[in-house]
Amino acid sequence: MPNELRVMMLTWEFPPRIIGGISPHVYYLSRSLAKNAAKVYVVTCDFPGAPQHETLDGVEVYRIDSYKNPSPDFASWVYLMNMNMQKEAASLVRELGGVDIFHAHDWLVANAGIGLKHVFRRPLLATIHSTEYGRRNGIHSDYERMIHETEAWLTYEAWRVICCSNYMVSHVKWVFGLPEDKLVMIPNGVDAKECEKSEDIDLNQFRRKFALPEEKIVLFVGRLVYEKGIHVLINAVPKVLEKVNAKFVVVGNGYMQQSLSEYIKNIGFAHKVMFTGFVDDRTLRNLQKCADVSVVPSLFEPFGIVALEAMAAKSPVVVSDTGGLSEIVEHEVTGIKVYPNNPDSLAWGISRVLLDENLANRLRENAYRKVVEKFNWDKISQQTKKVYKNVLNEYSRTFWA
Amino acid sequence: MQVLIFSWEYPPRVVGKLADYVKELAVQLAKNMVETWMVTYHDYMTGEFEEDGVKTYRVTNSVKTHISVLTWVLTLNQEVERVAANIYYKVGGRIDLIDVQDWHFIPAAVTLKKAFGIPFVYSVESLEDHRSHGANSPFNMAIKSIEWLGMYEAGWVVVKSEWMADEAIRIYKVPETKIKVVKPGSARWIKTILEIYKSLKEGSP
Repeated sequence: MPNELRVMMLTWEFPPRIIGGISPHVYYLSRSLAKNAAKVYVVTCDFPGAPQHETLDGVEVYRIDSYKNPSPDFASWVYLMNMNMQKEAASLVRELGGVDIFHAHDWLVANAGIGLKHVFRRPLLATIHSTEYGRRNGIHSDYERMIHETEAWLTYEAWRVICCSNYMVSHVKWVFGLPEDKLVMIPNGVDAKECEKSEDIDLNQFRRKFALPEEKIVLFVGRLVYEKGIHVLINAVPKVLEKVNAKFVVVGNGYMQQSLSEYIKNIGFAHKVMFTGFVDDRTLRNLQKCADVSVVPSLFEPFGIVALEAMAAKSPVVVSDTGGLSEIVEHEVTGIKVYPNNPDSLAWGISRVLLDENLANRLRENAYRKVVEKFNWDKISQQTKKVYKNVLNEYSRTFWA
Repeated sequence: MQVLIFSWEYPPRVVGKLADYVKELAVQLAKNMVETWMVTYHDYMTGEFEEDGVKTYRVTNSVKTHISVLTWVLTLNQEVERVAANIYYKVGGRIDLIDVQDWHFIPAAVTLKKAFGIPFVYSVESLEDHRSHGANSPFNMAIKSIEWLGMYEAGWVVVKSEWMADEAIRIYKVPETKIKVVKPGSARWIKTILEIYKSLKEGSP
């Protein structure tokens, strides 16, 4: 198609390389942009077995050699990876005869994005998915400050900064001192069809692998780290069991796993909590479909994609009233909100859903409808494309054009 | 001929003996009718200066807090790229080559080569293997990997002694034919450098 918008996406993770939420985000965004008449070139890190170049649903994916340089620590690895990413991306842009816009996701590709912007004199957009300040609850060392300043540098150099929730917009505005008109809120999305897709398996049979027939399933999905609030859920276990017979299924890995499973053993509820570790996508979807309630007890949550996925799988959700979760869930309409870091409040929310079938069904229906209406990728990619168009329009009046 | 020189030290910022050498190089090039653009670092004295016929651009680091000289260098390179690109667009793309002094700004030189097809000379003052006395920690290895990239991507590797030529061959397996030994202070010093530039501009190596 002539005059097609050409976007170069920079991301440190893209399927099959999945470390956090950026990978699926960039995948779905790129795919729907490609469907909406944009040419998308994704430049990302390599992954064992994945090809250096492939065309995936209309998206051109380039994987660069990212473990070429020995590195003393993670941040140094990131900067060295950026050196290689920028080098490869520069060759690619030259080969393509130019692109219209660069779009970088988080500080992990800041250097490459900033360098390419100046070398090719094209606008740079940044999506800030999370901040060092938020992840660490403050800045406590030179290492953290360096990352924080790199994030600030990226937002400084970006023409627009996209955040996935109003909470993140105000957080990013405050933490980097950005002018308001530089920030845009575009929500994260979820592929409802994929979450809901029923497979030819007997869900009752599948359910039996995790819980007894008389036990309700309470599902937690996330890294087992402090900011995800898994310890709040563990502390809520005895309180929930006073009221209703349930099995707590905990999916994910993290440094807190051992101490939490020892704790649960010591208080005599080991048979009520199951740690599954990391599971594949299909098992996760089926678990979400079986769950009588999905719990997201995070203390810090820029967006809360896991709540959306549960909602798309028609599982009722109980979330802590914080960050992006506050915006996704409407209390008593699309889910139940509870006080963050409060096991009593969390236990109340879980019991409320498990003991009231009518409420649970109402939450499922409303939540699903909300997901399809507001958080669908088609809509999100159109909003994103509008931002590209606006930026390019402004750009066309500068001396760079 | 239009030449960009990249160096992390340049007067008044003097760290070792490289600063005075690069100053002499830039001034002599300008005297020999080479349009010379110096891109270097200074903590706060940033911007554009005309000094002894040399157009000098000083940049500072966008990221102030660092854990090592390695991370410091890697976030500084984008500022070097920004200024180099500004010069490139200002002269309508007529930059013949870049002379990159030591390892610090090799990432920028490589990116500019890939983006615009500008070749570069890697001028070696010292190598990490000698500076760190053969230490092989990941930190040292990371710097060595950048030096290797410079050796690999450079049109010419210019060294200051026969001994350094042997070391570049020993450590980085650089083909002997890619190395030029140019002794500072010798009578033909600047003439030899001009010949090297000329051959790179004409694409002979």
